[in-house]
Amino acid sequence: MTSVAGTPSSTSDRTQAARFVPGQPDMWAFVLFEALVFTAYFTVYVFNRARSPDLFLESQTHLDLRVGVFNTLVLLASSWFVARCVQAAREGSFRAATTNAFLTMLFGFVFLVSKVREWAAEIEQGFTFTSDEFFSFYYFLTAIHFLHLLIGFGVLAIAVHQLRSPARRSQETIETCATYWHTIDFLWVMIFALLYVMR
Amino acid sequence: MTSTAGGVPDEPSSPLRKIAWHWRHDEKRELWIGWWTLVVFYNLYGLLFFVIARTQPPPQPTLAPSEIAQWFDDRRHGLIYGYAIVFIVGGATAIMNATLAYTMRRMSVSRAFAYSYLVIYALATLPGMLIMGVVCTVGAMRPDRDPELMSWLYDFAFLSFEGTMGVFLIGSLVWMVAVLLDRNRVFPRWFAYLNLCNALTEVVVAPAWIFKDGAFAWDGTIAWWINMGVFVTYTTAFLTLLRRMILREDFGTGPLPELARDEAQEPSGSLEAAR
Amino acid sequence: MNAGFEKRLFVVWLALSAITIAQLGVGSLEGQAARIPNAAITAGAILIALVKVRIIFREFMEVRHAPALLCRLTDLWVVFTGVTLLGGYFAGLAFST
Repeated sequence: MTSVAGTPSSTSDRTQAARFVPGQPDMWAFVLFEALVFTAYFTVYVFNRARSPDLFLESQTHLDLRVGVFNTLVLLASSWFVARCVQAAREGSFRAATTNAFLTMLFGFVFLVSKVREWAAEIEQGFTFTSDEFFSFYYFLTAIHFLHLLIGFGVLAIAVHQLRSPARRSQETIETCATYWHTIDFLWVMIFALLYVMR
Repeated sequence: MTSTAGGVPDEPSSPLRKIAWHWRHDEKRELWIGWWTLVVFYNLYGLLFFVIARTQPPPQPTLAPSEIAQWFDDRRHGLIYGYAIVFIVGGATAIMNATLAYTMRRMSVSRAFAYSYLVIYALATLPGMLIMGVVCTVGAMRPDRDPELMSWLYDFAFLSFEGTMGVFLIGSLVWMVAVLLDRNRVFPRWFAYLNLCNALTEVVVAPAWIFKDGAFAWDGTIAWWINMGVFVTYTTAFLTLLRRMILREDFGTGPLPELARDEAQEPSGSLEAAR
Repeated sequence: MNAGFEKRLFVVWLALSAITIAQLGVGSLEGQAARIPNAAITAGAILIALVKVRIIFREFMEVRHAPALLCRLTDLWVVFTGVTLLGGYFAGLAFST
């Protein structure tokens, strides 16, 4: 994958005229590859689900759609903040960018707490990884997503590190970190639809 | 880059003479030996495990002891001869791991990365190859063994092979961090991220210890098939990148020079450029 | 921050959130109705999710401004995922126990 615009002379030029790859193209390669792997996971889930609809539907009633919606809204907000962060950094407003980055982390943390509490509640009711096929997929998908989220905090820390010191500020690195974070968001959007909404 | 006072003769065109020429004059011959060992070994490994021994793709964990005894019986000769070859050539992994560790030595990062990678992957040959080989040949050796015992051997073989991914996980992360920190541009960044993908698949296989059927069992669509897809992609990637690295190698300590377009096809070009 | 971009991002976020909240409507299915496979709801959920993901790609991840290759690759993923998910669902139903 090639990066087209190179280093522009001013930030406004970049946003108006040239086409550019946000962040490292390498990160995009990773995003697309991971997305493909997740599509494979999702397809296996959907196929298995449709084969035993009664079991899956029954188990699904034990999930709380409202919590799913809340979690989705939280991650969408976090994505919004990191997108704002990238814009601010691009225009040189590094204080605003840092604030937005911290807000991203905050909302990511809210998701984390919400997810853990949701799991705890479900386990307490007796629904564990081995309860039935639906819950195996539920815990698997949400856990592997959760792992990506944890890595995401590390990635955001790198972005904040970049933003704070004038010597290190690399727009490309900040955008790369944002690209990773958005991946956590869009993967969750799919997971939410497949675990909580589909019938 | 050296050119001897007496002059290096031109590279001959016939294949056999070419190899002899490289053996005598190519400064990178050890690296190429390492690379070819990797390529040959991985192909041989695939052939031995998938075609001769037929232990991969893995069979179901849900087989009954009598069926398991049958499974061993169906594969008796394949298991014994196939794994006999694995045991004989298994030492080649030392050359392979050394070659991969070399890539980390060429990086600007601490030598500790190369050393830890070596240790991890040396250990990894046990669960990744040897234990299964030993257990399967033990199973195949006496066909009249009690099926309950065969069943135990069966679980031992497959869980040790499919379920012990921790070493590969950490190894992948070591390589990932090395590539990300490296200033010599030995490998592209996307390879570091691919190491992360590979590391994550090691986590995905962990449920194989719990489930005996379904997508998460040791033969499951998710735990085995999708994981294998990622692993094959990963292996192909690093073999290709390793070849490029060897072509680019200048035996210095600074950033590795990029390849000119035509050099990527013709390895002998590197010696031409030196003259 | 450039006011135009700030506003655009805000509108995108609002739209995505609104769609998500609207999906609460599915929760209004109670009792037995919640336990019957519903291809319409499923297809709708998958397609809506893919629309949201594409919006995230184009707006949040700035694929809108990216070279054609990246636009096509992300769109390709969206289409591929839609096809395999819907295909997997209907194939599964055909083989259901």
